[in-house]
Amino acid sequence: MSTFEQLIDQFLYRPDEPGLPSLQWLADAPRPESTGVEAPQEFLAFSLTDETYAVPIATVREIVKVPVITEVPRAPKELLGVMNLRGEVLPVYDVRARLLLAGGVQPITGPGDVPAQARIVLVKSESGDAGIITDGVEGVVRLLPSLTEPPPPGGTEKPFLAGLSRRGERLYILLDVEKVLE
Amino acid sequence: MTERRPVAEFVAEATEIVEGLSRELLGLDERRGEEPDPERLNAIFRAAHSLKGLASLFGHDRIARLAHVLEDALDALRLGKVAADDALIDAFIDGVDVLSGLLAMASRGETDGPAAERALALAQHIETLVAPAPEKPPALHELGVDKAVLNVLTEYEEHRLRENVKKGVALYMVRAVFSLEDFDQKLTALNAALKPLAEVVSTLPSAQASDEARIAFDLLVACRQPAADLEAVIRPFGATHALLSASVAPRPSAPVPVPVTAGPTAEVSLKSLSQTVRVDIARLDRLMAAVGDLLLTRTNIKRFAEGARAAGGGLHPMWAQELSREARALERKLDDLQKGILEVRMVPLGQVFDRLARLVRRLLRESGKEIDFEISGGDVELDKLIVEELSDPLMHLLRNAIDHGIEAPDKRASKGKPRRGRIRLRAANSGNHVVIEVGDDGAGMDDDRIRDEAVSRGLLTTKKAADLQRTDLLNLVFLPGFSTRRQVSELSGRGVGLDVVKTNLGRLSGLIDIVSERGQGTTFVLTLPLTLAIIRALVVQSAGRTYAVPMSSVLEIVAVRPSELRTVEHRQMLSVRGQTVPFVRLSQLFKLPETPVDLHYVVLVGLAQHRLGIAVDHLLGQQDVVTKPLSARLRDVPGLAGATDLGDRRAVLVLDVPALVSEIVRPQASP
Repeated sequence: MSTFEQLIDQFLYRPDEPGLPSLQWLADAPRPESTGVEAPQEFLAFSLTDETYAVPIATVREIVKVPVITEVPRAPKELLGVMNLRGEVLPVYDVRARLLLAGGVQPITGPGDVPAQARIVLVKSESGDAGIITDGVEGVVRLLPSLTEPPPPGGTEKPFLAGLSRRGERLYILLDVEKVLE
Repeated sequence: MTERRPVAEFVAEATEIVEGLSRELLGLDERRGEEPDPERLNAIFRAAHSLKGLASLFGHDRIARLAHVLEDALDALRLGKVAADDALIDAFIDGVDVLSGLLAMASRGETDGPAAERALALAQHIETLVAPAPEKPPALHELGVDKAVLNVLTEYEEHRLRENVKKGVALYMVRAVFSLEDFDQKLTALNAALKPLAEVVSTLPSAQASDEARIAFDLLVACRQPAADLEAVIRPFGATHALLSASVAPRPSAPVPVPVTAGPTAEVSLKSLSQTVRVDIARLDRLMAAVGDLLLTRTNIKRFAEGARAAGGGLHPMWAQELSREARALERKLDDLQKGILEVRMVPLGQVFDRLARLVRRLLRESGKEIDFEISGGDVELDKLIVEELSDPLMHLLRNAIDHGIEAPDKRASKGKPRRGRIRLRAANSGNHVVIEVGDDGAGMDDDRIRDEAVSRGLLTTKKAADLQRTDLLNLVFLPGFSTRRQVSELSGRGVGLDVVKTNLGRLSGLIDIVSERGQGTTFVLTLPLTLAIIRALVVQSAGRTYAVPMSSVLEIVAVRPSELRTVEHRQMLSVRGQTVPFVRLSQLFKLPETPVDLHYVVLVGLAQHRLGIAVDHLLGQQDVVTKPLSARLRDVPGLAGATDLGDRRAVLVLDVPALVSEIVRPQASP
């Protein structure tokens, strides 16, 4: 890449532009016939380490590619840093350590530190919108409340678990966004 | 809510009127005991009248009622029915305070509050002050003025006439004939010319004009100067004069039953006189944010243009040159735009000084001390937001000066000083900053008392206190809870002290310094940036991370070898021209990987009276930035004011200098 090409690339690059799973298809997709039995709820599923998590679609604001993240000195270790999204400064969290997944918090300062599929799920929240780094977004899933189990015992240890839900063979761990970011 | 807009407009317009009212009243107040200037009384009367009308229009009955009472009292005053004594002037000044209170309530949409009660009480108080009806004045013709003239005079004009006759001022009738085309300008000019030596009691259009294209006026003039002077003034206007006396011939013309004031000004255009617009500061903030974003685009385009030139590549050289030229033009225009918006945000400090003057006069009356209060530099301009935030700190400093600074008259006399003390409020421009001084010629600060107080409050040990130099000692007064005043004063209140002043100033990126000489007085010197909307930042790098430091708090940059640092009580110190300054490496403070260096670049920052040296690895340059707040989630992370974008879409953290200074320099507050 010549300096010039790099400059053009840098100038035109929008962290959230290319290759995003658009949520628009959701609005366009045919709704399942109302059977009167049970309406499924919509979740955004994403992977962290080797598990699949899901958060209610209503809490998701946006999904963005991993931009340059500025580390914030003396902040809690789950905070990877802040990102600049179209002029707005937003905190980005790595919740793996909280979920007691292997790996802990690795410093991530930009797109170079993560695999290409990694995305930041930007969630809406009372105490300020925030990004959660994920290993990849799987898409929107419809889960039936009747197939959702309450969180396993030991809930005091993991208050951010909202439940477990199955769809066919797959198991989704439902997260309480507010609590996981506390 | 549809109600909001009218309320905001009402409050804005009424506030302007009240501020005007306040200014004129202060003029009256300064000349207590003298005969009030009729022009000034009229101005106050008109302001009260407009306010009454405006308040009734918007349904603010309490304000309308108080304005009405003020108007009546002022009318009685200008008609000479009551005297401008201290009680009445004090009541008027209180009236302005209460009106301000009522307006503040109106702006918050409240209907009840202390101001409402005060309004009622004050209205009654003023009514009793002006109640006693004076005895019937003597008929005017007894004063030697012709009846035909008297018939057309208004009550006010009669009163002025009577006053002048009483004082033995000679009365003249000046006859001027002007062309119909420009009589209004001519008449205004004549009035202006007469003003220095005479009072124009009444202007009467005369029916007896020499021809159709001309109009004659009779001016009833009370002239304090000899007739020759009057002659000299009116001759250029082609006017003649006649001495009026009881024996003067009846006016040849039949009195014209036209209200005098409606005469020459009846044709005034309905277009507004004012060429200004009122703008909500939030709109300017939005404009400024847009400019901030444009500045980033400019930086990118500039880099793009430079890159295009350097790389050559596929671009035609002409193209690259053209791009550079356009980029430079854009840069210049954007600078103009940014300057323009900043100018619009600027308001004169006089806005807050006037309010302070009102308060000070009230405090002076209550304190019983003899003090002259001087204000200068009201025309110095600052960002509206800063001006608003300044009123509380300045009020506090002024209260302090009145209460703690100036000694009682007898004590001053015994020290060989004039009995009257002096308090000065001054503002001046100084480069990119404004310096405001609040000074008194009082007793000055007492080292020993400050030392005792600090020790007794456990702020520092006796030994430490004894070692402190005077400057450091003086700065102890900025510690929370510090006060050398033994008896709690009515004026200065309790609990809130200079620490609040310091905190408020810190929020405005301001500095405060104390200059105090025993026996000579104390001056607080406040240094403030012109604006906070767009700040100039120093871009630095530490351990590979980029940070922005607001230039307004950067005093200078020095290069220091590690061997030049000293350690005092486990703290690293730096010596800058004889002054010892605490030193910290940013990478160490922020727990970033540290690498040994041969030379520290030390950014010397100042906050209020504190200084701190922050060492960084590299200095990258300066840039204008708009600071965006960090998420509320990061509120507990210390030392950061926000983040900004330097043009590469990364978030760059902006250091919070006040927080860093109080973290590192934190005065010897902990026992």
